[in-house]
Amino acid sequence: MNLRKLIWLEFKQHKSQLVSGLLAITLGIAVIVGIRSISVVSEKAVAVNLDNLGANILVLPQASNVDNYYSADIDAPTMPEEYVDKIVTSNLQGVDNLSPKLTRRIKIKNENIVLTGILPKNEIASKPMWQQSGLLGNDIQTSCASTNSANQSLGLKDEKLQRKVIDSLREDECLVGSAIASRLKLSDNNNIEILGEKFKISKVINETGTIDDDRIFIHLRKAQQLLKIPGQVSAIEIMGCCNAISDGLLSKLRNVLPDTRITTIGQIVATQIQTNKMMNKVSLIFLIIIVFVGGISIGNFMWANINERRKEIGMLRMIGFNKATIYKMMLTKAFVLGVLGGLIGYVLGTMAGMWLGPELAGLPVKPVPSLIFVSLIISIGVSIIGSLIPSYLAGRIDPFKNMQEV
Amino acid sequence: MILKTTNLCKNYQHKDGLINALNNINFEVNEGDFITITGASGSGKTTLLLSLAGLIKTSSGQILINDFDIASASDGKLSAFRKNHIGFVMQSFALIPYLTAIENVMLPLAIHKLKNNIQTERALALLELVGLGDRKNHFPKELSAGQQQRVAIARALINQPTLILADEPTGNLDPTLAEDILNLLKSINTEKGITILMVTHSPLAAEYGNQKIHLKDGQIV
Repeated sequence: MNLRKLIWLEFKQHKSQLVSGLLAITLGIAVIVGIRSISVVSEKAVAVNLDNLGANILVLPQASNVDNYYSADIDAPTMPEEYVDKIVTSNLQGVDNLSPKLTRRIKIKNENIVLTGILPKNEIASKPMWQQSGLLGNDIQTSCASTNSANQSLGLKDEKLQRKVIDSLREDECLVGSAIASRLKLSDNNNIEILGEKFKISKVINETGTIDDDRIFIHLRKAQQLLKIPGQVSAIEIMGCCNAISDGLLSKLRNVLPDTRITTIGQIVATQIQTNKMMNKVSLIFLIIIVFVGGISIGNFMWANINERRKEIGMLRMIGFNKATIYKMMLTKAFVLGVLGGLIGYVLGTMAGMWLGPELAGLPVKPVPSLIFVSLIISIGVSIIGSLIPSYLAGRIDPFKNMQEV
Repeated sequence: MILKTTNLCKNYQHKDGLINALNNINFEVNEGDFITITGASGSGKTTLLLSLAGLIKTSSGQILINDFDIASASDGKLSAFRKNHIGFVMQSFALIPYLTAIENVMLPLAIHKLKNNIQTERALALLELVGLGDRKNHFPKELSAGQQQRVAIARALINQPTLILADEPTGNLDPTLAEDILNLLKSINTEKGITILMVTHSPLAAEYGNQKIHLKDGQIV
């Protein structure tokens, strides 16, 4: 005989009580897990959609503004390229992808085009510090956008080829927007002269419906050389995790780069933040409900159990069980209830999520293993907190409850 | 000498005034004694037994059991003392209904660090001693009142106590069964040398003691 066996035998004796005691906490956990399972997928879907819209933070020179950036005027302000390294070395959380750009409006065959210098991925990959910072694009995270090139479909027919070209753009190659190609009658592998230098068109980019259709992309180094502004960039586009943005990423970036103008593409960020906040609020509301209802339910079960066993507990105290041992027995029981409630709640919640997810959110929902730990922590915590007062009172039961005259 | 009380008093505050449940109790018990405590209802018998076990705090006076001062010890030390030195037999048997006979007997060992096989051996030997070796897997509801009290006696012996405190152990039994239980307690007292203090209101049971204490209005008379 030992305490564990004694607790187990007592559990077996009060199976029906156990079920009713577990009901509230199990259902509460199931609701939280169900909501989270759906919201995780939903947030991920939102993140993917937003990611396809592009970068959400723009770092511009102090004297510049978004109009300057897009118009790419000849005298538009620039800033040092080393600012990219400053961001990287600051190790800010939530900065997912960096893209320094130099843009200038130039003329080719009397056509106004925007020449844009970019860093191809193979050059970024050669920067160990950038890689260590995870700026090459991570696997998509819940409520955090990922990089286009690394993870997401661009919806192009020759997508693999397109990516390959962008990844490995050489200094004598360029990418041409569809509108420019159409106006200048250019196609893949043609040559084009830009500011007196010949470039091979490695790819005509399919129509995107954005300003990119009117751009020619060349290697950033070449752009700096041709435009005679070495070591300078017009902007740094950042793919920032939206949760990090809501947690103050912009002000942290401003601290790192005080003499720059940092803006977000407000509507996009706001949409995701709003969605995420709503999901989190719903989860929080249920968490509060489960803490109260689950805690009271478990406390009520424990209190009823202790009242029913007053003589038994009195006898245990009489034969030498001290108060600490009684507390230990009661809290162990609460712990086991918490584990059972957490596990059963996780299974029920996951099943509900998988069943209701496609109906409610139009998304297939998969089990989220990390929610097992969350479920267990909440369930065990609520169960133990709800049992504290009954356990304390159990320890105070008079040991002489079995004496005939008392 | 195994037990000594000196000027033991226990007062209760009641709405009608102060009640002296125990009034200046002095007695000594030697090792191997079988003490019976008798008296009318409300005379203070159970209060005295509870006080001796450290289950209630006395108002004044001293209780020494094996030189351990019961009256001034902390709750934790009293629990440890009861665990190691005292066995209890109650009128209501106080068996746990969802434990079998052998599990009930082993119950006090749940807080001793004894190996399971040693616990089982000891419990089986005690069940044999009380004549219930063949009922070890029976639940209390499957046993007669006399058999339940025998299980309770085996449980009181499992921690090899120096003192057994029995509170009306035959109160719920018919005369024949009562005699069986009294004979069992007497044999444990004589053969194992365990000191027994038994509260009873039965004159017949009181005759089993080699020393008799009679209480009236909280005083030894």
